[in-house]
Amino acid sequence: MHSTHHATLLREQGGHGRKKTGFIEKAGKTDGCNDVFRMVFDRIQTGILIIDPQTHTIIDANPIAEGLIGRTKTELVGSVCHDFVCPAKCGQCPVTDMHQDIRNIERAIINARGEKIPILKTVAKAEMDGKEYLIESFIDIIDRKKAEERKVALIAYLNESMMRARIPLELMQQGLQALAGMVTSGEYDSEDIRMQLQIHANNIGQVASTLEELSRQAVEDRDEIPAAFREFVSRK
Amino acid sequence: MPENTSLTIDADNLLYLMLAQPDHIRLMNISVMKKILQSGCTPLIITVNQPQKVLSKIYAKEGIGPDQYYVIDAVTRYSGGACTPGPRVKYVNNPANLTDLGIAITELIKEIPDQKKCIMFDSVSMLLIHIPTATASKFLHFVVNKLKLSEISGIFLCVDKGLDPVVLSQMSAFVDRIVDFDLPGH
Repeated sequence: MHSTHHATLLREQGGHGRKKTGFIEKAGKTDGCNDVFRMVFDRIQTGILIIDPQTHTIIDANPIAEGLIGRTKTELVGSVCHDFVCPAKCGQCPVTDMHQDIRNIERAIINARGEKIPILKTVAKAEMDGKEYLIESFIDIIDRKKAEERKVALIAYLNESMMRARIPLELMQQGLQALAGMVTSGEYDSEDIRMQLQIHANNIGQVASTLEELSRQAVEDRDEIPAAFREFVSRK
Repeated sequence: MPENTSLTIDADNLLYLMLAQPDHIRLMNISVMKKILQSGCTPLIITVNQPQKVLSKIYAKEGIGPDQYYVIDAVTRYSGGACTPGPRVKYVNNPANLTDLGIAITELIKEIPDQKKCIMFDSVSMLLIHIPTATASKFLHFVVNKLKLSEISGIFLCVDKGLDPVVLSQMSAFVDRIVDFDLPGH
């Protein structure tokens, strides 16, 4: 939320006399396209970084990128991209060293607060005046990730309800059926029958309170889903 | 993946997870009990399902005498029934009391003088009424480790599809075999 607000502020600044010192201006075009590109660059709802692939330094950053990373353009420009936006180590750049095609791939950036922000990232190569550049664009998918987590949580609670309510109820049904047979067999005394009825009554009470607890947990935005279960659901 | 084979209890101190349909779980208990006795092992029944008093009558009907097995009974007190003390039985207040259940298992394993012992847990599915699956998994892991260290065989009864996929995969790692229970004569 904070980063979005920050991005909005920067965007507004960009629209009202923001100092133009970025890559686009330095490219030296004078036919009026600069202003159009700068306007798009500043107002697009996608974070964009322009990177020199040889030095891996950031050459330009738009306001959304600044907002998501939580650092100003001044801080970003001239910095090595490994320090901010890419968790890859030096010499292991997915694009220039590993030659991977990065197109709408889920990645994470570490913002200024050290928080991991999930993003959907694309890296495109672009050539200008004979020099190659990397255009790294990304969108914040934190809301989507939260929705996915919520879905996993709900499946987990549903699954737990199934294991701790439906299956035991089926067993209790069988138990009660067997009990009906025991009553007529005459081999079991009244205490035997009472004990088993009491166990079933206690168990039904326990199942009811388990269901209540699980539905309460499902309503609350809880995130203590076991990692193994999260992995299992994600695999499906 | 469950094997569709019948249970064979040998001297290798194997651990089994036995799966059955809900309407076959009682038959599975009796069938497994007979197999344990046939193999020459002394069974220790951990019941979170039926009280020892009822269980002993069911077994007696099948020709299994009370001097042939040991019981840890976690439901008689839970039902408000009288706990008749005996050298072959230990009572636990409530199936959710895993600490006492663990202590009872440890103590009774030591007290059984016979060389070959086999634990039968009836049942994992009923235990889940009382505790969350994650807790059940940890407890079963504890029991499995205890059995492995003591070189004792163990059979965990469970309803087919009655385990959380994660618990089932964890149990698959703990136990040596997962066996589908076949009705005798089928």
